This record gives sequence, structure tokens and C-alpha cells, in this order.
Amino acid sequence: MLARRSFLQSCGLAVAALLGSGAIFRSERLLAWAGAAGGPEDPEVPNEEVARILKNLFGNRPIRKGHVSLDMPAVAEDGRVVPVIIESDLPMRPDQHVKGVHLIVDHNPDPHLAAFHLTPALGSVSISTRIKMKRTTWVRAIVETSTGEVWADYARVLVTLNGCG
Amino acid sequence: MSAGIGEARIRVPDRISRGDVILVNAIISHPMDTGFFRTAEGNPIPAYFISTVVVTYGAEEIARFDWTSGISRDPVVSFTLRADKEGPLTMVWTDNKGGTFKQSVNIAFTAA
Repeated sequence: MLARRSFLQSCGLAVAALLGSGAIFRSERLLAWAGAAGGPEDPEVPNEEVARILKNLFGNRPIRKGHVSLDMPAVAEDGRVVPVIIESDLPMRPDQHVKGVHLIVDHNPDPHLAAFHLTPALGSVSISTRIKMKRTTWVRAIVETSTGEVWADYARVLVTLNGCG
Repeated sequence: MSAGIGEARIRVPDRISRGDVILVNAIISHPMDTGFFRTAEGNPIPAYFISTVVVTYGAEEIARFDWTSGISRDPVVSFTLRADKEGPLTMVWTDNKGGTFKQSVNIAFTAA
């Protein structure tokens, strides 16, 4: 995994071919990773609650797309168990690190699903877990650095079985 | 089922050298009830979920996770750790009813 990470940092897209069965999905993610800073492809904020969550977490700072990879299935057949992988190529050094990773599921009953508070001791940002999803929605993985930058990646997940009741 | 609540495991690689960035995998048995469901008899099932996870390495708190009931039943989480010292890696999971569950694994380096 770590070999892969440094490779990602050094040459980006070319690694997709090495990733076997996940190659197509991964290459899309990598394109997003390398993509432009924010813009028209970013999902719109869908409601007041998500707007408030973003405002409380990040104030008026721009949330730019990049430096984060949110890996989720395009289709989640069982909304009770949906795998999530969040990675970032941002440094984890004492002078500069990712201090928070926020997972926001727009149309869940409690959209701010998880916050991961990190320190440089982790050495890298690579977090995985499994979540519940109520219905088809955008998912936001947003990281905040110790220097105040905010970076994000987004995934739209089609949910066929409600996992939230 | 409920007898197992709080049973936790942490997995790290068998062989670790100083300075490696290793993958840590953890799982805990917990129902993670959202509070939105009812029993077959129609009684509401109250929210019951892990709300905080604290990770310490040696004496240092290195990570803290704030969770909601949106994390799936029997929560799994993996993250990386820069293994720069020998000592215990400890995780404490706390649920919204005040239950706390602790598990540790010793980080030790393989002789070269």
C-alpha cells in the first residue's frame, strides 16, 4: 500500500493499470484526485442541514476538490453496509498535517456521519470503514489541514436497499 | 448476540520494522442501533451506538473518531500508524449509554 502511495504522488494516473480488477474505478478516482480546484462538477449543497454542517466546520473557507480520494461503490445493494475508503496525498508531518477527515452523507438522517481527528503519528491518511445509507445521494469526504486548507472528494452512490429505517 | 457487545480485536502486521507505516485494522461487536427501527412487536429500539473511539500509542493520543449510528453494525475501522517506537497501541470505544470497551495490541519490532 505504501509503495502505491508514493507511486501515486510521483506519477499519478499511470498507476491505474497496476490495480487489477479495481482499475477502472480507481482511474476515475485518480482523475478526480488530480482534478481542478473546485468548480461546476462539485455537487450542490442539497439542504439547510448540510449547509449548516459545512459552515460550522469550515466557515467561509473554500472547499476545493483535490488531494483526497473517496472510494465507494457506484451502486450499494445493501444500504446497511457500504464500504468507504478515504485517502489523501497530503503530508503528515509535525509542521503540516491533516487534522480532520469529515464524512458527510447528504441525504442521511444524520448527514455528518463521522469525523476522524488525526495527528502526524499516523504517517498517512488512509481510513476505511463501513457505513449506512438511506438512499441515493452524494457523499462528501472533506479534510482539513493544520494550516487551515480544506480539500474534498465526492462520490455519488446509488442505494437500492435503505439502510437507515 | 448482546453477550458479545464490546468484544474487540485489533490487527497489525506480523512483522514490523522501526519507521514502517503500518495498517491497523480494528473491529468491535456493537449493534449500532439508529433509534429509527422498531421490534416485531412495534416497540421502538432506542439509539445505541459507539460515539467515540480514542487511539493511543505509548502515552500519546494519536487519533480520535467521532461517530454516529450511521456507522454499520459491528464497526470496522482501519487507519495507518507510523511505527516509530515499541509499545502498546490502545483503542477505547465509548457508546452513547456510557459503555466503554478497551483493546490493546503491542507494537514490537522484528529483529533484522
